[in-house]
Amino acid sequence: MIIDVSVNGIQRHLKSRNGDRLVDVLKKELGLSSLTADCLQGRCGKCLIFMDGRIVHSCLIPAFKARGSSIVTFEGIAKKPEVMDIEKAFQLTQTQPCSFCHTAKIMTIFDLLSRVPLPNEDDIVEALDMVPCPCSDPIGLIQAVKLAAELRNKRKFNREA
Amino acid sequence: MQFASTIRSPYHRGRNAKVIIDTLPNGFSSILPDDLSAHNIPSLFSEGIPIFASQQISYRGEALGLIIGPDPGICDELAALARVECDEEEPEHEWESFSSSQIVFHYGAEHGDLDAMFAAASTQLKEVYRNGIFDHHYSEPMGALARWDKTTLSIHCATQWPDDLRRRLAGALAISESNIVVHPTEMGRALDGRLWFPSLVAAQAAVASRISGKPVRILYTREEDFLHTTKQARSAINIRSGSDEQGRLLALDIVILINLGAYNPLAPEIVYQAVSAITGIYSCPAIRIEAYAIRSNTIPLGAMGSVGATHAFFAIEAHMNNLAQRYSKHPAEIKALNMLKKGQSIFGAPDLSGDIPFNRIHKELEQISDYPRKYASYELVKKRDPGCREGIVRGIALTLGYQTGRSFSECSGMNLYSVEATLDRELRLLIKTQATIGSESLKAMWRKTAAEILSIHEDHVHFLLPENTHSLPSGPMTLSRGSSLIHALIEKTCRNIQKKRFRESLPISATARTRPSKAKTNPEALFLGAQLLDSASWCGTAVEVEIDALTGKPIPLAVWMVIDAGRIVNVQIALASLRASALSALAFCTANDFDPSESGRKDYIADAGMRIRQLPKIEIEFIEPDRNGAAKGIGELPFITIPAAFYSALTQALGLDPRQLPLKGGEILRLLEGA
Repeated sequence: MIIDVSVNGIQRHLKSRNGDRLVDVLKKELGLSSLTADCLQGRCGKCLIFMDGRIVHSCLIPAFKARGSSIVTFEGIAKKPEVMDIEKAFQLTQTQPCSFCHTAKIMTIFDLLSRVPLPNEDDIVEALDMVPCPCSDPIGLIQAVKLAAELRNKRKFNREA
Repeated sequence: MQFASTIRSPYHRGRNAKVIIDTLPNGFSSILPDDLSAHNIPSLFSEGIPIFASQQISYRGEALGLIIGPDPGICDELAALARVECDEEEPEHEWESFSSSQIVFHYGAEHGDLDAMFAAASTQLKEVYRNGIFDHHYSEPMGALARWDKTTLSIHCATQWPDDLRRRLAGALAISESNIVVHPTEMGRALDGRLWFPSLVAAQAAVASRISGKPVRILYTREEDFLHTTKQARSAINIRSGSDEQGRLLALDIVILINLGAYNPLAPEIVYQAVSAITGIYSCPAIRIEAYAIRSNTIPLGAMGSVGATHAFFAIEAHMNNLAQRYSKHPAEIKALNMLKKGQSIFGAPDLSGDIPFNRIHKELEQISDYPRKYASYELVKKRDPGCREGIVRGIALTLGYQTGRSFSECSGMNLYSVEATLDRELRLLIKTQATIGSESLKAMWRKTAAEILSIHEDHVHFLLPENTHSLPSGPMTLSRGSSLIHALIEKTCRNIQKKRFRESLPISATARTRPSKAKTNPEALFLGAQLLDSASWCGTAVEVEIDALTGKPIPLAVWMVIDAGRIVNVQIALASLRASALSALAFCTANDFDPSESGRKDYIADAGMRIRQLPKIEIEFIEPDRNGAAKGIGELPFITIPAAFYSALTQALGLDPRQLPLKGGEILRLLEGA
């Protein structure tokens, strides 16, 4: 079947078979390398996408369910200044997620900071729990998110958090 | 490129396996053991591990062949449709009472008059401590990409030990090592899960590529990885001790059984590490140790974190705590009484040239964790409410351990590391090493060290794979074992270049490598003695645990670590690495154990280890991190000390001694109901 969907702002017609997962179709048809079909249980978070503005696990969504929706992957936000803030915060706190979860962690932090500009520790832990890759120091990650929020607010409103 | 899916055995054990495949669609083909013999490809690793099992199936899920084709999804479906027939045999799952044919490796040592010392002992204590199987939870499932270019084989694979991969492939495929180029790919935290198993997957991809004449990629699904790749070994450690009226150890009779599943080429190393660690830091005039690596019909099992030391430290520390209970003494008192002191030795090894920094670490740890007050109050609660009926159930314990960063099985090249550095005319430093550099932070640390010594900009330091890989052998990159050695070698090469820099013209090159030790003739000398302990990193760890009154689940509340490891090159990176390792070590204490039955396998997959949501407070302090001297490895310390401290805290909270790790909530509730 053909699924009409907007991916990163471009209208696409994706080929899919019955029972295909959205993550597999996005990877196969569009070659989106930021997505990983890893646990296929919605646990690892490496397949996170924005679907109609909500962050979801694309491994849990049948491809046909995406018909008519608007999908944004990491590739669609990679050049946004908010992502640069997060990258800079990773760098400054020396918290470098591994290459397998890097994009997923950025997606979840991006989502958190766009919903909650000044997140508290519970908000941060809640968000980071979506990508439980054991590669990085959890306390460092929390510090990085706080710093990313500061950098974002400073850039947007020209003031400290 | 062709994709490959593995045809797996549905039997735990059997002979003469036959794979029956119906007609395959165009473009798809199968690679079976018969194809290997038809192409004159030897099919065994040197330890007898088959690339594809045919004559003997050793575990459920063992690879019997591949389906290759242009679509990975269709390959998966075709592999699942393949039927397997064999002469099924009764699997050997039992390993604690084993037959002689199940022994893969045995090591025994005895020192002192054991019988006389047991006869003189006023108290004897005999206990068995068990460890379960635990997954490494590494970042990406196992996989490999192989490509033949006439006679040269290129392998892309995430491995901790590229040198070993090349050596094994050369042996298994009967080709020269110089015709194999290994490209280590990104790995994340591997925690010893990628020591040798990637070689097997790479060999399967290489064989398929050679037969099909096309590049072949194998990439396991996470479920496949959970169920069919190597995990931390299961162990049972039997300790019988005899002690005098004061609680001083007189005799220790220890039997270590390590279940290594169907295969493990690193059995000697795992056994040696366990033997080296089992005496812990305690002095005893008479010791007998028998250690066995046992084969069973389950998935290949092996190393994790600290190779075999985690199991051994957990057992000896738990035993010392029980000894303290027997004497109604404080655990720290019994431990201090039996602690090795300057001039003492075990197994006739060289004498300890200095005291173990027990007092200093202990004092610091007590201060930051508020241990004495908490220990006393939890003891009081336990005495008032032995069945834990009132709800709040907490415990706290501390333990001392060490990391030597030393491998004992010299024959496999585990201690051989080398680095070549060249400072060129543009003042760029090119560092060549075969060691897999797992993290960017490690690279950053090495870059900083090299740049400081040579007074060049950090951006001018580059890491390369050597063109001639033979000249620069490398042992595995484990948690900190390899990285601390490579760091020392980078320092050495940079200092050599700096010495020559203003006397000779650029480019200047320098090479440094570790020297093989003389351990072969007297392995006991390495187990415990001045050479080992004087160069060790020391760590005291306190863990506070609460038992959830409803579910029985043990919840770690806080972890405190005090580390004496000489100079710390970058405190921030060290802290980050230790905190990440601490979380993995805590996950091991509470995770699901692997059970080969159908329902057990499902439970196992459902368990994803420790989550950031369950993050306890983690506080880490270094003793004099700015001092001069060599940097020592610290990455394994959480795996060595946390399980032992966690278990001891749990026994205090429960007032029971289950003598096993990991422990799940359900098991704890059953124990409490039975108490």
